[in-house]
Amino acid sequence: MQHPIGYRIEADGSLGIDSLSAYLLNPWALIQFAHNQSAALVTGSFVVTAVGALYTLRGLHRTQAALYLRAGTLVGLLASLIVAFPSGDQQAKMVARHQPITLAAMEGKFVGGTNAGVAAIGQPNVTARRLDNSIEVPGALSFLANGTFQSYVHGLDEYPADAWPDNIELLYYSFHLMITLGSIFILLMAYAKFQDWRGRLQSTGWLLWVLMLSFPLPYIANTVGWMTAELGRQPWLAYGLFRTRDGYSKVLSNGDTIFTLIGFTGLYFVLGVLFLYLVGRQIGRGPSEDAAVLDIEKEQALIGVPRQEHFV
Amino acid sequence: MIAIWYAIVSFMLIAYVILDGRNFGAGMLHCFVARTPEERRQVIAAMGPLWSWHEVWLVGFGGALVAVFPRLMASAFSGYYLALILILWCLILRGFSIEVGGHINDRLWQGFWDFVFVFSNCLLAILFGAAAGNVARGAPLDAEGNFSMPFFTDFGVHGYVGLLDWYTVSVAVFAVALLAAHGATYLALKTEGPVHDRSARYAKYLWVAVVPLFALISVESFFVRSDVPGRAVHNPVCWIGLLVTLISAAMLISGFSTRREMRAFLASNFLIVGLLATGGAAIFPVMLHSTLAPENSLSAYAIAANHTALVVASIWWPIAFALAIAYFIFISRRYVGKVSVKRDTQGFY
Repeated sequence: MQHPIGYRIEADGSLGIDSLSAYLLNPWALIQFAHNQSAALVTGSFVVTAVGALYTLRGLHRTQAALYLRAGTLVGLLASLIVAFPSGDQQAKMVARHQPITLAAMEGKFVGGTNAGVAAIGQPNVTARRLDNSIEVPGALSFLANGTFQSYVHGLDEYPADAWPDNIELLYYSFHLMITLGSIFILLMAYAKFQDWRGRLQSTGWLLWVLMLSFPLPYIANTVGWMTAELGRQPWLAYGLFRTRDGYSKVLSNGDTIFTLIGFTGLYFVLGVLFLYLVGRQIGRGPSEDAAVLDIEKEQALIGVPRQEHFV
Repeated sequence: MIAIWYAIVSFMLIAYVILDGRNFGAGMLHCFVARTPEERRQVIAAMGPLWSWHEVWLVGFGGALVAVFPRLMASAFSGYYLALILILWCLILRGFSIEVGGHINDRLWQGFWDFVFVFSNCLLAILFGAAAGNVARGAPLDAEGNFSMPFFTDFGVHGYVGLLDWYTVSVAVFAVALLAAHGATYLALKTEGPVHDRSARYAKYLWVAVVPLFALISVESFFVRSDVPGRAVHNPVCWIGLLVTLISAAMLISGFSTRREMRAFLASNFLIVGLLATGGAAIFPVMLHSTLAPENSLSAYAIAANHTALVVASIWWPIAFALAIAYFIFISRRYVGKVSVKRDTQGFY
């Protein structure tokens, strides 16, 4: 839907599949999949690291806690790096090539130009069509989008306003929150791995606290990343082919969708509370006795594939 | 090609009904055949870790529908929106009650999740039954092939119908009885001890109850869709389906009277296959009948996807099907045999 290829338009205006190989090997899909999966790995490694930090801070299950920390920080560092480069970087280049309007909106870039910068801070002001109070890193956007500092990056002003994403502010903040969190993940995991390599991770109290409390951050990063993808695709349902406003079902009422939205929210909230309760209970109980007698050397040979606890 | 794909799509739905139908049945009878907490875990262990695999057939059915009959999918999923969301919620609750119920060894906790389990299974059987009734009866399709309907209107079967009317409600009742009988037959095969004895007894009563209900909905179907029987008598698949049903009924009786549980269970599966195949073949090629005007009906030939899509689907489906069958053989061998009360033979369920 972000970059539809391999299709053909039938006589009655509907879409049909034309080339299966083009459809399956869609470069956008492959890169987004890689970006997604490495983000999932980041999430998992943060949870494993957080459990390791929790046990270490409480002085429980020393052997397993050391393993969780070692494996969690190693996988976490590698996965955080892969999320940013090459998968995130390639994703940005894809957006720059195929959805220049989206890129401009993500960066709050109202006026196009060469040597375009990335705003470290700033608030997009859609009415006045400028980025307020911004501090920019010059040339960074040109480099990230096209690989050279001097290249031209399109601005929103070059396109009609009805081709802009509907909610540029939300898109801008979602994207920047994702980028910020992603950078924090790399720095945090790199520092934790460094301390682990020096053998000091288990005695650095404040770092363990940070690692323990940061497990929700990848969930937030995943959510805002998803929002960036979906808000950035607007106003298209299938990019360039099918507008969102043409895609809704004409036989459903607002009441139907609000009813099911409230229902899903309630159901997911209850399930989420239960999930946290049961997982928390399992973590509080600690690793089972069988796991404790496992040879730690054997486990270390499997590093990168941490032993999975079956939570649910 | 389109007739074959109609058969494949129907086959996947039928596979789902017989596989997950036994779980609905076992779930509905859960509070009757199992009295103690241990026995209740035994019933859930008999369903084992297989229930989520059974749901794959439903997903596969939906996927095949998107690939091959996209317009039916678009029309039916908008029109049946609320009903389908209800089914989805019940499936979520059913899965969650199985997964969560065993985690805490507490009477209140397990009692609550057992209730959710039975409740969602009952509702699922009713909803799927009503859905089958809706497909047989048709929907108020307009000239563009769209429709929307409330839960009920005047309970009549013509014109602007609702989800529930006298016909779909009686099909739902029939479905509840049929799936409960199917589930009881499965539990009789899969369990031992008191649960087995109760299940075997329930199975007999329920199969007896299925017969008059089947006669009732057969007669009703003639009135609701008087256009179908004329075409169906010329369709050999209908006669084969009917034959399978009759042979299965005979095998079912012989299976119960000689206490051969495997024979009874297989017969129960084939009986449902026969019934659904007969029904599916009878309404072909109309996939969704319009209760407003027959010319608005969605016919399989009119709504199929383009030729390339059908060819692609025909290449991929056998591969996926071979994988599913290989997994079916593996998992059936892995979980063969009866589940006892004391020793939970099927993992952490």
